[in-house]
Amino acid sequence: MDRMDRNVVVPGDLLSDDPKKAGEGTYVKDGKVCSLLYGMASSYKDKVRVIPLAGKYVPSPGDAVIGTVQDIVFSNWIVNINSPYEGLLHISELPRKIEMNEMSKYLRIGSSVMIRVKDVDSTMKVELTLNDRRLGILTRGRVAEISPTRVPRLIGKGGSMINMLKKELNCNIFVGQNGRIWVDGNDDDMDLALKTILIIEKEAHTTGLTDRILEFLRAEKEARS
Amino acid sequence: MIGMDDKLSFFKNGVRLDGRRPDELRPIKIEVGVLERADGSCYMEMGGNKVIAAVYGPREVHPRHLQEATRAIVRYRYNMASFSVEERKRPGPDRRSNEVSKVSREALEPVILTSYFPKSVVDIFVEVLQADAGTRTVGINAASVALADAGIPMKSLISSCAAGKVDGEVVLDPMKLEDNFGEADVPIAMTPNGDITLLQMDGRLTTEEFRKALETAKVGCEQIYEIQRKALVDRYSHMEEPESCNEAVAEGEI
Amino acid sequence: MSDEVMSEIRKDYLYHLVLKGERADGRAFDEYREIVLETGPIRKADGSALVKLGKTQVMVGVKIQPGAPFSDTPNKGVIITNAELVPLASPNFEPGPPNAMGIELARVVDRGVRESGAIDLESLCITPGENVWIVFIDVHVLDDCGNLMDASSLGAIAALMTAKVPAEQYGLGEDYPLPVKDLPVATTAVEFGDAIMFDPDTDEESVADTKLTVITTADGSVCGMQKSGTGFTSQDHIYRIVDIACERAKEIREKFLEV
Repeated sequence: MDRMDRNVVVPGDLLSDDPKKAGEGTYVKDGKVCSLLYGMASSYKDKVRVIPLAGKYVPSPGDAVIGTVQDIVFSNWIVNINSPYEGLLHISELPRKIEMNEMSKYLRIGSSVMIRVKDVDSTMKVELTLNDRRLGILTRGRVAEISPTRVPRLIGKGGSMINMLKKELNCNIFVGQNGRIWVDGNDDDMDLALKTILIIEKEAHTTGLTDRILEFLRAEKEARS
Repeated sequence: MIGMDDKLSFFKNGVRLDGRRPDELRPIKIEVGVLERADGSCYMEMGGNKVIAAVYGPREVHPRHLQEATRAIVRYRYNMASFSVEERKRPGPDRRSNEVSKVSREALEPVILTSYFPKSVVDIFVEVLQADAGTRTVGINAASVALADAGIPMKSLISSCAAGKVDGEVVLDPMKLEDNFGEADVPIAMTPNGDITLLQMDGRLTTEEFRKALETAKVGCEQIYEIQRKALVDRYSHMEEPESCNEAVAEGEI
Repeated sequence: MSDEVMSEIRKDYLYHLVLKGERADGRAFDEYREIVLETGPIRKADGSALVKLGKTQVMVGVKIQPGAPFSDTPNKGVIITNAELVPLASPNFEPGPPNAMGIELARVVDRGVRESGAIDLESLCITPGENVWIVFIDVHVLDDCGNLMDASSLGAIAALMTAKVPAEQYGLGEDYPLPVKDLPVATTAVEFGDAIMFDPDTDEESVADTKLTVITTADGSVCGMQKSGTGFTSQDHIYRIVDIACERAKEIREKFLEV
């Protein structure tokens, strides 16, 4: 029985009889494509896929994320990246050279960083790097956390949502793939930014969201002035 | 299974002591996502059973030496609250809860795609707040929903229920009296396709009766599956079509 | 198992708010989160209560059974309080027997019930020296979002208030309501920097230097206290906390416990 009636699917729901259509979040058994996840099923470029409604962040090379330093062990910082897997930042992956005894001074436990996933090997060893002009240690602003599954929606098609937010909110905003988001601006602007981000997280799977958020922001800003 | 003296009959005009037909399940209630801290959760009632299941994971394994290089390990802890049973139970695991935990884990593990998360653990916790026969089956049902709620990739949900035999007749989903004084108890768990992942039996049944019990329990599982599925789908019933976030660029930018 | 290091950015933000006189969720410093109390959800128990304090959820069950008294108090009933910090309630709870935190929670809840005289132990005597009613208070934490102490204490007294002594099933007469003579309420505050905040949530508990729980009775007397945490607290702060605690406890008592 075809279960695409509500678009919300559960693991095991039949999505298609054509194995060639198996996209992300699905698996094939006995020539049938079934859902692996509790999520929203949709067709995309002649494949059927399931977008999860919940789930943990699994790091992938190239991802830009926000991490918190948990520990310093020999020549590595151990970084919490909101994942079942911790990240390792090696002393050689910094924009400049430092000595091992300077590690804590450069980046201490509890600090937050905008950082990139350099590599993930087959043993799930996650290597991070700070060696990029666009990355760095966060010394101001606030960090919010949303479900990593909602990050694509927060960014939007071609960056439509995030660019709109940056323009309307008068804040610096950095969206980490791991669901952590950094905002920086004055107190009121940051409050509004975070409030907006939480609304987007909650309504990620509704239509017309970008327009509604734009309206919401315009109304909030008018109310303030 | 003690034989009762002939005063107590479990049927009156074909109806059971609690008013059910032999092939009828007890009333079921399912709520998804009832806890804040857990990654996934489910509260379930089945007759007088009140059970809450929660999933944490995948997450880092502690102690480290338990981790497996190529897959996530699955842990299941079934626990009964002291106040959940007639006579107050001393807190903590006992031999029975250990066994229930093991077979329950084995009932769910076959459908979990553990290879997606090497070196991690999927922790399943089930707390029985009120017990009324069949707690292990309710636990597995709730755990299955909690796993979905946590976003754990699975081949399918798992549904579980038991069949029993009272007064010579096979009945579905025995309640307390039927379980205590009946002649057999057969709990099972299965996928919607009918693949069985849990099977236990105690009591005495002819092979014919056993076949009937298994068939009866399977039908019960199919009904429970629909209720589990509906609870999950209805949770997002206010959601409309997914926005075309299909082409969202998945990249953090400054 | 978890116990993550909180980011400095988060800590800085909470301190920054405190300086502005604000809390992260917009509450006043002496304001409680929404409380929802449901009594009797566990019919099989002799008394029970589910408490929701903000997102914190605690289930308390009361079981009353006959048993032997302690040899030094042959004509008094027995109260036994236990708390289970079950692993489903928090990523930081591990399976196993109660650790120091769980034991402390149980003992402070017990203190409130016992020292307030809420239960008249002599009235629980069945046959002196042989048989008395044993009242088990079992706290089962379901979701730790901060301030388990107040939620558990409220659940305990609410479960006791609505409990029935199951005399019938033991051939000791008819069932009757457990006589409860007082309504102790616990109120907890944390300190960080110079600020005192009541009903702390998870983050506030993590950042705080110290925590103080004050248990007051229906007539406003103090019947139990517990300071926890490794920070210093001043006499002045203590007196301030006690004063506000009495007020908050009175409100909670009036709203939820008095019929």
